[in-house]
Amino acid sequence: MKKILLPFFILTVLPALLMAQVLVDSPNYQKAREKMVSLQIRLRGVSDKKVLNAMNQVPRHRFVPEELVSKAYADHPLPIGQGQTISQPYIVALMTEKLKLKGDERILEIGTGSGYQAAILAKVAKEVYTMEIKEKLYKKAESLLRSIGFSKIKTRHGDGYFGWSEAAPFDCIMITASIDHIPPPLLKQLKNGGRLILPLGNPFSYQYLSLVTKHDDEYTVKQITGVLFVPMTGHALDQNRRVTNDIP
Amino acid sequence: MILAAVFLLSLSSLAFEVLLIRVFSISQWNHLSFMVISIALFGFAAAGTFLNIIDTHKKNWEQRLSASGPVKIFIILYTATAIGSFMVLNRIPLDYFRLPLETVQIFYLLTTYLLLALPFFFAGLVISLAYAFIPEKTGFVYFASMVGSACGAIIPVPFLPLLGEGRSIILAALIPLIIIPFERATTNKTYAKTKNTSRGKRFALQASGLFIVLIAGLLVSIGDGTEVKVNPSSYKDLSRVLQFPDTRIFETVTGLRGRFDSVYSPYTRFAPGLSLKFKGILPEQWAIYKDGDTPFFSYKLQRQKDEWFSRFTLPYAGYMLVPNPEHILLIQDGGGSTIPCAMASGARSITIVEQKPQIAYMIRKHYNIPVVNQNPRAFMAQSDKHYDIIHIENWGGSLPGSDALTQGYLFTTASFSEYLNHLTENGILIMARKLLLPPADLIRLWAGAYESLSSLRYENPEQHLAVLRNWSTFTLIVSVKPFNDTVVLKDFAQNMNFDLVYLPGITKEMANRFNIFDAPYHFFEISRLAEAYLSGTEETYFETYPLDVAPQSDSRPFPGRFLKWNKLKVLYKITGSRFYSLFMSGEIVVAIVFFEALGIAFLLLVLPLIAIPKGGQKLYISHIIYFLAVGAGFMFVELFFIKKYIFIFGDPVISFTVVLTGILVFSGFGGYCSQRIGPGGLRNVLIALIAVLILVFLGLDPIIHRILGLSKILQYTLAILLLILPGFLLGLPFPLGMRHLLNRPAQRAYAWTANGCASVLTSIISAQIALSLGIPIIILCAAAAYLLAFLMNNTKSINPFK
Repeated sequence: MKKILLPFFILTVLPALLMAQVLVDSPNYQKAREKMVSLQIRLRGVSDKKVLNAMNQVPRHRFVPEELVSKAYADHPLPIGQGQTISQPYIVALMTEKLKLKGDERILEIGTGSGYQAAILAKVAKEVYTMEIKEKLYKKAESLLRSIGFSKIKTRHGDGYFGWSEAAPFDCIMITASIDHIPPPLLKQLKNGGRLILPLGNPFSYQYLSLVTKHDDEYTVKQITGVLFVPMTGHALDQNRRVTNDIP
Repeated sequence: MILAAVFLLSLSSLAFEVLLIRVFSISQWNHLSFMVISIALFGFAAAGTFLNIIDTHKKNWEQRLSASGPVKIFIILYTATAIGSFMVLNRIPLDYFRLPLETVQIFYLLTTYLLLALPFFFAGLVISLAYAFIPEKTGFVYFASMVGSACGAIIPVPFLPLLGEGRSIILAALIPLIIIPFERATTNKTYAKTKNTSRGKRFALQASGLFIVLIAGLLVSIGDGTEVKVNPSSYKDLSRVLQFPDTRIFETVTGLRGRFDSVYSPYTRFAPGLSLKFKGILPEQWAIYKDGDTPFFSYKLQRQKDEWFSRFTLPYAGYMLVPNPEHILLIQDGGGSTIPCAMASGARSITIVEQKPQIAYMIRKHYNIPVVNQNPRAFMAQSDKHYDIIHIENWGGSLPGSDALTQGYLFTTASFSEYLNHLTENGILIMARKLLLPPADLIRLWAGAYESLSSLRYENPEQHLAVLRNWSTFTLIVSVKPFNDTVVLKDFAQNMNFDLVYLPGITKEMANRFNIFDAPYHFFEISRLAEAYLSGTEETYFETYPLDVAPQSDSRPFPGRFLKWNKLKVLYKITGSRFYSLFMSGEIVVAIVFFEALGIAFLLLVLPLIAIPKGGQKLYISHIIYFLAVGAGFMFVELFFIKKYIFIFGDPVISFTVVLTGILVFSGFGGYCSQRIGPGGLRNVLIALIAVLILVFLGLDPIIHRILGLSKILQYTLAILLLILPGFLLGLPFPLGMRHLLNRPAQRAYAWTANGCASVLTSIISAQIALSLGIPIIILCAAAAYLLAFLMNNTKSINPFK
C-alpha cells in the first residue's frame, strides 16, 4: 500500500504543496510588498494612505505568470502573455493616487489585463467596473479576482471604447490600454468634474500619465511627467534609494 | 563535385540568411534580427577553426574530408540543421522583454544562436575545405561561392510571393540535396587522391537525403503549412488586434518587401491627434499591417460627414491656413489619417506618394485617388509640380528605440528643401509625429526645417514655423510665407483644446493651457533653440542637449536615433533609472552584439593558435591581418553600397538585394579572373582597389542624386553598372591571397576564419559608424582596410610562434 501511496504523493500532493507555496500569501511576500511600498512607491512621492494600504494588501504575485512570481515585486512591468503587461508597481500606485479617490466613487477601468489594477482600485473606491476585450485575459482575470475575494468588482468582456453605459456616469475612468485618442463615448460617461487617467508610451520604455479632467464641455489634460521625467534640471527620484528587485 | 557543392551551399545559405531576416522581421523586430543573425553567421568562421583543430590531429584531412562521401554528409547535415533550426526558432518561447527577468530566456537565446549557427557552420566547412583542398583553383572556388551567393540573394524574390516565408526557407534548405545522387567523374585528376564512396554508403546517403525531403514535404503540407507559418511577436500590433473578437485577416501578400496582412476588425479606430472636443463616431476602418506592425488604416468615407472627424485632428491646423487648396500632396509612410484630412479640405486634386506597392495598390483601389508608387525623394526629384499643401505622415514603430537603426529620408534637411521647393507661394508643409519626452523628434524636425529655410535664403526662418500639440502628438507646420497673421492657428488651438508650442509671438502661458505639463518643456526647448540659432550658438545647444537632436543630413539619415553615448548616464537618470527602458533601443542592441561578436571572434581566432603544437605550421601575423583586413574591406564596401542605395530605392530590402547580387556576381568574376594573376599582381590590385574606393567616396553622391531623377529601369541599370568596377576588384584580394600568400591547407582554413570573423564584426561596426559618423565614412574605412592589407602584403612575414 505504501508503495502505491508514495508515487501518488509525489505526483499529486507534492506539486500541490509547491503550488500552494507559490500562490498563497506568505510572510515573505508580505515582506516583499512592504519593501515595494516603502522603496519603490512612498520614496517616489506617493503618499495617499489608502493607496499605500491597498498596495500593501493586494498580493501582486497572484497576478503574474508563475514563472515570473519571483519578480512580482520588482521595480518594473512584467509580461503577462498575449503581448500584455502588468504595470510597474509605482505606475499602478501613481495612477490610483492621481484619481484622488475618497472612497465613495464609481470607477470604470478599461483593459482589465491581469486584474491587479482593478483589485487595487477596489480597495480604495466604492464600486469598480472593469472591461476587457481579449477573452482569454478576461476569463483569467475574472476567475482570479473571484478566487481571491474581489467578487464585488464587476467585470465584463467587451469593447471598452464605448464604455459601460448602463452603469454610467462614473466619477473616474482609468484606461490601461495603449490608445492614440481618448474615446469620445468615455468622455460622455464621465461625470462633470470627473477624472480620466491613462498611461502614455510603452510600458517597457518611457512612460508618463495623462489625467483628463472634465469641466462642463471643456477638458484639460494634465501630463504627469514625474513618473519618469524631470528634464535636464535634475531628477526627482532619490538616487540613493535602494530598490528591491527580488523577493527576499 | 566540390565546386558544385560550394555553389549550391553558397546559394542555399545566402537564401537562408535573407529569408531568416524576413522571418525575424515578422516574429520580432529588425534590430533584434540583426542581433541573432550576426552571431549565427559566425558559424561560417567556426568551420575554419574546426579544420585547424582537426589539422593538429589528422594528416591529409583536406583530402579525406573533401571526398565525395564526407561532402555529401556535410550537405545533408546542412539541410537538416537549416530546417531544424528554423522549426525550433519558430517555436522557441524566446521573449526579448523577459531577457532581463528570466534566466531561462538567456538559455533560449543561446540555443537560438547555436542552432542558427549550425547550417552556416556546415556550409562554411565545405567552402573552406574547397579552398584547402584545391589551392591552385582558389579563383574558381571563389567564383563558385560568390555566384552561388548572388543567386541565393535573388532566389527569395520569386519564392516569397509564391510560397511564403516558412515554405521558402524549407525549399532553400533543400536545394543543395540535388547533388546527393551524383558521383564525381572517376577521371577527374583533382580527386585522384580522394576516396570514392562505396555503393552501400551512397545508398545510405541517398536514403538520408530522401528522408529529409519527405520530412520537409510533410512539414510544409501539414495543415496547409501551419507548421511552418511565421507568426508575429505577441507584442506587435497585429497580434494584439487579432485577439479582438470578430477580427480576421482577409488577405495576406508576402514578398521581399515584407508581409502585408489586411485585417478587418470592428474595433479598429485610428485617429491620432483627435481633439477631445470631437463628439461624433469615427468612420469604419480596416488596416494593413507590414510584418505585423506599422499599420496603414483605410477609412470607409461613404458620406461627407465621415470625413468630419479629421477636422478635429491636430494636423488639420495646417489645412486651416489654406482654405481652398487646389493641389495636395500626401506622402504616406504608415498611418493613413492624412487622406481624410485632404478629402475634408475639399482639395481639387490629391496626389499620394506611397512607396510600398501593396499599400499603394490598396489606396488606389479603396479611395480611387491617383497614387504614385515611388520613393518620395525620387518623386520629388522627378516632379516639377507645386502643391498648396504637402502633408507627411509617419508615426514610427510601436516599440520606441526599435527604429534607431532604420534609415529614412523623409526628415533630413535636404528633404525639407525638396518639400519647400515643391510648394506654391502660399504653400504649407505639415508633419505630424508622436510627442516624446524628453523632447527629441520635435526639436530635430524644427531645427531641420529652420536650417532648410535658412539654406534656401528665407529671411527670419523662425517666422515660417509653427508647432502645435495635444497630449500625445505634435504637428509641425512650415509656411512659405511668414506667419504674419497667427489668429487662425490660435483660434483653432483654442477651439480644439490644443496647445501651441511654437508660433511667432506666443507666450509660455499659451503653450501649456489644455494639455498641461509640469512646465511647458517643449515650448522652452524650442524657444531656447530659436534663441541659439539667432545668436549663432546652435552647435553648443546640440552638444549640451542630452539627446542627439541635431538636424540630419542625407549622409546620416536615422530619424529614430537619439542616443548620445557620452550622455547615456544622464538619459538613464532622466528616464527613471530603469535599465529596461534603454534595453530595447537599437543602438544598445548593436553595442551588446558587438561585444558578443568580439568575444566569439577572439575565441575562434585564438583557439587554433592554442591548438598548434610547438614547431607546428607557420602562421604569420601579417597574413592574419591581411585576411582580417580583406574580410573587413569587402564587408565595408558591401554595406556602404547597401546604405547608399536605400536613397535611390527607398527600401532597404531592395537595396540589399540589388547590391548583394551585383557585388557578389562581379566579385565572383573577379575571383575567376584572379586565376590568371601572378603573385606580383596582388600589390597592383590593392592599389587599384584603394583608388577606386576613394573615387567612390568622392564621386558617388552626385551620381546618385542624378540617378534619383531617372526612370525605375534606368535607376536599377545604373545602380548595377556602378557596382561593376568595385565589385570586380573586390573579388581579387581574397583568392589571390589564398593562393600566393599561404602554402598549407590549415593556413587557408585559418584565413577563412579570419575573413569570416572580420565580415561579421564589420557588419556590426558599420551600423554604428553610419549612426555616429555617417554613411560615407564606411567607404573610407574600406579603403583603410585595403591599405592595411596592402601594407601587410608588403611586410616581411613574421612568425609569432617561433
